[in-house]
Amino acid sequence: MPKIKTSRVKYPEGWELIEPTLHELEAKMREAENDPHDGKRKCESLWPIFKIAHQKSRYIYDLYYRRKEISKELYEFCLDQGYADHNLIAKWKKPGYERLCCLQCMQTRDHNFTTTCVCRVPKHLREERVIECVHCGCKGCASGD
Amino acid sequence: MAHRLLRDAQADGWERSDFPIICESCLGDNPYVRMTRADYDKECKICTRPFTVFRWRPGRDARYKKTEICQTCCKLKNVCQVCLLDLEYGLPVQVRDTALAINSNDAIPKSDVNREYFAEEHDRRARAGIDYESSYGKAHPNDTILKLQRTTPYYKRNRAHVCSFYARGECTRGAECPYRHEMPVTGELSQQNIKDRYYGVNDPVALKLLSKAGEMPSLSPPEDESIKTLYVGGLDARITEQDLRDHFYAHGEIESIRMVLQRACAFVTYTTREGAEKAAEELVNKLVVKGLRLKLMWGKPQASKPEGEVPEDDVTKQGLMSLGGMLPRAVISQQQTNQQPQPPGTQDQQQPPLHYFNIPAPPPVERTFYPSMDPQRMGALVPSQEASDNKGGSEKQPQQQGLLRAPNSSGQAYPVLPPHLQSQYPQYYPPYGYMAPPRPPYQQQYPPYQSMMAPPPPPPAPPAMQQYPPGAPGSSSQG
Repeated sequence: MPKIKTSRVKYPEGWELIEPTLHELEAKMREAENDPHDGKRKCESLWPIFKIAHQKSRYIYDLYYRRKEISKELYEFCLDQGYADHNLIAKWKKPGYERLCCLQCMQTRDHNFTTTCVCRVPKHLREERVIECVHCGCKGCASGD
Repeated sequence: MAHRLLRDAQADGWERSDFPIICESCLGDNPYVRMTRADYDKECKICTRPFTVFRWRPGRDARYKKTEICQTCCKLKNVCQVCLLDLEYGLPVQVRDTALAINSNDAIPKSDVNREYFAEEHDRRARAGIDYESSYGKAHPNDTILKLQRTTPYYKRNRAHVCSFYARGECTRGAECPYRHEMPVTGELSQQNIKDRYYGVNDPVALKLLSKAGEMPSLSPPEDESIKTLYVGGLDARITEQDLRDHFYAHGEIESIRMVLQRACAFVTYTTREGAEKAAEELVNKLVVKGLRLKLMWGKPQASKPEGEVPEDDVTKQGLMSLGGMLPRAVISQQQTNQQPQPPGTQDQQQPPLHYFNIPAPPPVERTFYPSMDPQRMGALVPSQEASDNKGGSEKQPQQQGLLRAPNSSGQAYPVLPPHLQSQYPQYYPPYGYMAPPRPPYQQQYPPYQSMMAPPPPPPAPPAMQQYPPGAPGSSSQG
């Protein structure tokens, strides 16, 4: 659903506190979407999109579940309006997936040999130290490190 | 062309297979390999027909490799599907064909439809099992092939390709760049064409190999005519004396083989100089035992020494050692005092108390059981000249004593020994390159040896006789 602020939308209380940050993140996202692709690999130009999406969802998740600064109503409002990805947040609630970068990296159906992406492997078990996963450019999202 | 729609997989000539035909190097060093199979994924680089592509990673530091040519093309030339080198020898097609004088090039058409038709026909026949003859299985490897073939897999070709951005100085990936950050090697060998390599025409690597084969140095016989010993280097624990014997017996009568495992080498001595020369000629560059390519050189030149004489200082021990380790004690104790540089491999036997186990020369014996236990009786130094003559005369005795001494080294390795033997053993010099046999069998042999000590005395001269009376009480005390 397009995020057009029509007058129909009724914002719950507490919205004014989080609105500026969310606006900034949205602006960042637009910038990432309009970035030229010069000098970047095909997959690399998509990485900022995933990164910012993760950031937005993380902000709202933190506010509600960690810092408990917003009400349930506001939280659900943000999810409905599309300021955060509720599927990703659902994964963050599970043990072992607290730092998941994106949903694709965890999906074994999307990979050869039904494995996860390499960014899900903890650093001490990996052979290469420095990696950037090809989907989202993640450098390591295992919960341990 | 083969770019028809797939109606009937078999009839249309689209190839489907269950496992790739690849060489060891391409498969990699990892026994656990995960391979993906994709039917009709790519077209063969030679015949351009769709075929099953297999993709895997041949080892931890390797890039992903995939089959490049179809199995039909690969079977026609007996090459690996990935690297297009021969499956048995690891050589380029051109090298193998010129070496074995096979010329199948005329049969395989190279142009367009002709080529496809040929490939399909061949495929159809192979599947039907008719008329399929491959000349590659029947050919015997000849000299050139043996000299040039790869004996171990070569994993360097599985490394990642060189980062082309790095070559320009523009690689922004830095540490996570999976490509090699080295400057690319340019030269004639870099301009290779897969079709040229497959058909065996104009292949720069093959040309280089062939010219190298022509120039491979042959082992020239040394000027000193008395050398009958060949040095074999690069041994492994898997290679036994019997293996060496099998390889060397064909060229002449082998007098002795000594293996020095500490130095991964062996010395093969022939009874005749001609035999040694013949062996050198035939085996140089071609000696491959149990898959290991061995180095063959002449043994170090030296003046030969008859057994009984006292060796001079500058005589290296190899000639003496090449008698199969039947050296009399006199010689050994003499050599022990010499501080000369010695050829590799003989050093262990030469100064055994110093070298072996880093134990200094043992003190003289307190009790003697066998004459062989006492260097004096065995003819050490001056009084024993005659004794050493006698010892040299009968080969059997040294052999027995050699065998008796064998447990000595095991005695040193295993500190627990029957007490009556313990005092004697540190004094022993380790047998000449023998692996210490397990003790138990030898312990059982002591009683028979004791009895055997009595019969041999009659042949040797009286000086030898005097060894045995003391030996008898010794043996009786042991028994």
